Amino acid sequence: MERETISVTVNGRAYERAVEPRRLLSDFLREDLRLTGTHVGCEHGVCGSCTVMMDGVTARSCLTFAVMADGAEIETIEGLGSVEAMHPVQQAFWEKHGLQCGFCTPGMLMTAVELLKANPDPSVDDIRDAISGNLCRCTGYQTIVESIQYAAKLMREDGP
Amino acid sequence: MYVGQAIRRREDERFLRGRGRFVEDITLDQPIAHAAFVRSPHAHAAVTHVDTAQAAAMPGVLAVLTGADWTAAGHGEAEGVWPVKDMSGADSRTAYRPLICVDGVVRCVGEIVAMVVAEDRHQALDAAEAIEVAYEEKPANTITAGALDPDIPLVHPAFGTNEVMVTEHGLKEETEAALANAHHVTEVVVPTNRVTAASMEPRAYLGHYDRVNDRYTVWTTNQAPHIVRRYFTKSLHIPEHKLRVIAPDVGGGFGMKLYHYPEEGLVLWGAIVCDRPVRWVGTRSECLLGDTHARDHHTVGRMGFDENGKILGVKFETLAAFGAYESQWQASITNAYHFTMLSLAYDIPAIHTQVRAVYTNATPVDAYRGAGRPEAVYQVERMIENGAQEMGIDPLELRARNLIPPEKFPYQTALGITYDSGDPPVLMGKIKALADYDALRAEQARLRAEGQWMGIGISAFFDMAGAGPVKMMNDLGAKVGCYDVASVRVHPDGRITVFAGSHSHGQGHETTWSQIAADRLGCDIDHIDLVEGDTDRVPMGIGTWGSRSLSTAGMAVYTAADRVVAKAKRMAAHMMECAPEDLDLADGEFTVKGTDRKLSFAAVANASYHSGDRPSDLEIGLEETSFFDPADCTYPSAIHLCVVLVDPETCAVTLRNYWAVDDVGTVINPMVLHGQVHGGLVQGIGQALMEECAYDAESGQYLSGTFMDYAIPHAEDVPSFGLDAHFTRALGNPLGAKGAGESGTIGAPACICNGVIDALWHLGVRQITQPMTPKKIWRAIEDAKRTQH
Ligand code: FES
Ligand code: FES
Repeated sequence: MERETISVTVNGRAYERAVEPRRLLSDFLREDLRLTGTHVGCEHGVCGSCTVMMDGVTARSCLTFAVMADGAEIETIEGLGSVEAMHPVQQAFWEKHGLQCGFCTPGMLMTAVELLKANPDPSVDDIRDAISGNLCRCTGYQTIVESIQYAAKLMREDGP
Repeated sequence: MYVGQAIRRREDERFLRGRGRFVEDITLDQPIAHAAFVRSPHAHAAVTHVDTAQAAAMPGVLAVLTGADWTAAGHGEAEGVWPVKDMSGADSRTAYRPLICVDGVVRCVGEIVAMVVAEDRHQALDAAEAIEVAYEEKPANTITAGALDPDIPLVHPAFGTNEVMVTEHGLKEETEAALANAHHVTEVVVPTNRVTAASMEPRAYLGHYDRVNDRYTVWTTNQAPHIVRRYFTKSLHIPEHKLRVIAPDVGGGFGMKLYHYPEEGLVLWGAIVCDRPVRWVGTRSECLLGDTHARDHHTVGRMGFDENGKILGVKFETLAAFGAYESQWQASITNAYHFTMLSLAYDIPAIHTQVRAVYTNATPVDAYRGAGRPEAVYQVERMIENGAQEMGIDPLELRARNLIPPEKFPYQTALGITYDSGDPPVLMGKIKALADYDALRAEQARLRAEGQWMGIGISAFFDMAGAGPVKMMNDLGAKVGCYDVASVRVHPDGRITVFAGSHSHGQGHETTWSQIAADRLGCDIDHIDLVEGDTDRVPMGIGTWGSRSLSTAGMAVYTAADRVVAKAKRMAAHMMECAPEDLDLADGEFTVKGTDRKLSFAAVANASYHSGDRPSDLEIGLEETSFFDPADCTYPSAIHLCVVLVDPETCAVTLRNYWAVDDVGTVINPMVLHGQVHGGLVQGIGQALMEECAYDAESGQYLSGTFMDYAIPHAEDVPSFGLDAHFTRALGNPLGAKGAGESGTIGAPACICNGVIDALWHLGVRQITQPMTPKKIWRAIEDAKRTQH
């Protein structure tokens, strides 16, 4: 199949790659760039495990073709936080036991980051609503809700 | 002390940073080929012709393999490690799930007929599509309830019946007499819906054969890697010492990832044939269809009460679906975990149960979180609820009258199992207070007067966890020894690596096993690392399932660490010129009791490896292994209570409140414990309200192949939970721990169903089959109206 060349910035680094038009963004990230933190749990847009940030908003990389990301800025879980310090959302999930097997976690974290950007002080209902597109089979969601509330607190205290 | 502390998990950082390493993430130093499968679209059919010629010639294709090739290669089958045992003495009718169709008949949708191995996944999928298979359809049955009726098609005609086996347990005559003499008898028909674990990580396997060194490696999404080696001795006839099984990070298992799935054997076969590593990663549809399904019992039960609501006896007749074939651990449910637990938390003098296992043209059933106990609790609790309602006794009060009193422990049930410790009345008192039960009943009456339908559900039960000891589990049918193993290796610098035969796929062993080891070794928890999930590094293991790891592998860590301390004390005593008994070990230092003479653990470790000056009978080195066989299973208990609101307009159920009070014995890490309870509860809620592996009754087609059709709970569907606890020590292990992984899935379906029935009892509704969707609730209300008029 014919390939198209795309340029994308992923976690602040510019890449130019030739991809088949049918190549999914999830496969592109995982296989071509070896960024395996983005997970594929259903490949039909329901579980949210594959959630990444595309030009500042969350996108399901399993429903996005890599060619659609041409010219875009992508952020994945690997770009969250720094080597020295985790992002407050990561920190909060750690403190509040917001993960068990860790498979849904990257998608959950990206969704939480987006929520907290728009709403720095979300209620429990706001949080449950925001993560309703992300399935988790391990935690029962309660500790995820608590993690996101705690992250909001950390972020409010730290300032932007 | 680390044990008992809510320490944040040591494994979390890699997951939070996207550095987890799952089977799909593994890279090797040679390119990995991909497998794709051709699966039966029919529930039952003869395979009359398979044409692979076109596929084999397609770009990138390395091999196309069929059942004929499998047979020609002399390969075998996935033999059960917990096979059927027919207790009536008749021959059991075993047909193990084949890895690939070898006998020209497919018996359920999804059965594998052919495999393609190609350079990349798309090429493999394209070629799989080009394989032509001709089928001749046969009549099929996917329904458990009528599977033994005379005109139902046979799944395995050679057996002459769909019955796999019959078992009977308990006190038959006493039960009949109790029912005959009862003041009131309640009868219910309760089917337990077919569900599946649906871990978020799909199953995936990577097989590699190193021809030069004659070594095999399999990376697998599995909960018990050492048992995987055992399966391969029967399927591909690979000796255990030649095969390395690695279960790296695994994204949830819940029992479903315990088996030798067809794809696991086939990718390694493909790797051998193609001389290339081969990987398969399941799509969600392949997983919802091919992952083992669970539950699917059809039960008729009768329960007799005296005039005060005291249960006199209970009798069950159950049809238990096996699906089209026997999966490797399937009989652990029918022969070990279901019948044993039918007394729940109640003092019932007479119980009798008959289980007939049946074949249907559906995906094989095997263990999923709870395995037999959710069915048992649902079956018993539904009778208790209806009995209480029929007799006009408050449902909580009727239960309280029947709970096993603390003075009866250890308590032997009418089914012969002995619960070592527990105190159900205390749990009941706590949940009553936690939920403010009397206020809830008052609210219910008020709302009902206003035309609102509120219900209160309750379930109370014991779990049989901690599978072991070996002898008891052997007697219940296990062909694997139910112990577990740990090695504690102290390095010369005093730092420690623990190797354990358990496998963590969310449970947090890197934290909890380290908590146990650090306490026993008197060291900093950060001085300990844990290795699991690699048969070349861990000496042996039985794996993580049945809430067993803490009381087996955790205890092996405890025991091996104690042995290390005993040996280190001898070395330290030699160095400090005192007796080993005079030494204390804490904070990384040995101290001579009553003095300030100290010697660091690290110095003793170093001397253990590098000093010639040691007791003459003390071997060099500081490493100990324990194969721990517990003295008993463990018997955690719990009581659940929930409030449901049923919308009179839409018949939708809102689960407003959920409380659980658990007795899990000694707690290692309360944060991890709560996570286990929460997660199980939500899976139980899913079973009660939305999950079902559905088949079209006419065609046998599978209808639940995506997350749009198989609904698992979202964050919005579930409440936050109110938890409390009361701990009685387990007597079967020195930690006193009972295991806590399954309480949620065991208790929730019954609790929620009882709540919905309680909400609708006044309308004449007596039973609703799970999942209790609005449509089923509406139908039940309409049916009740009709029968009343
Ligand atoms: S993998 Fe993209 S939504 Fe499930
Ligand atoms: S932590 Fe396992 S799926 Fe969410």
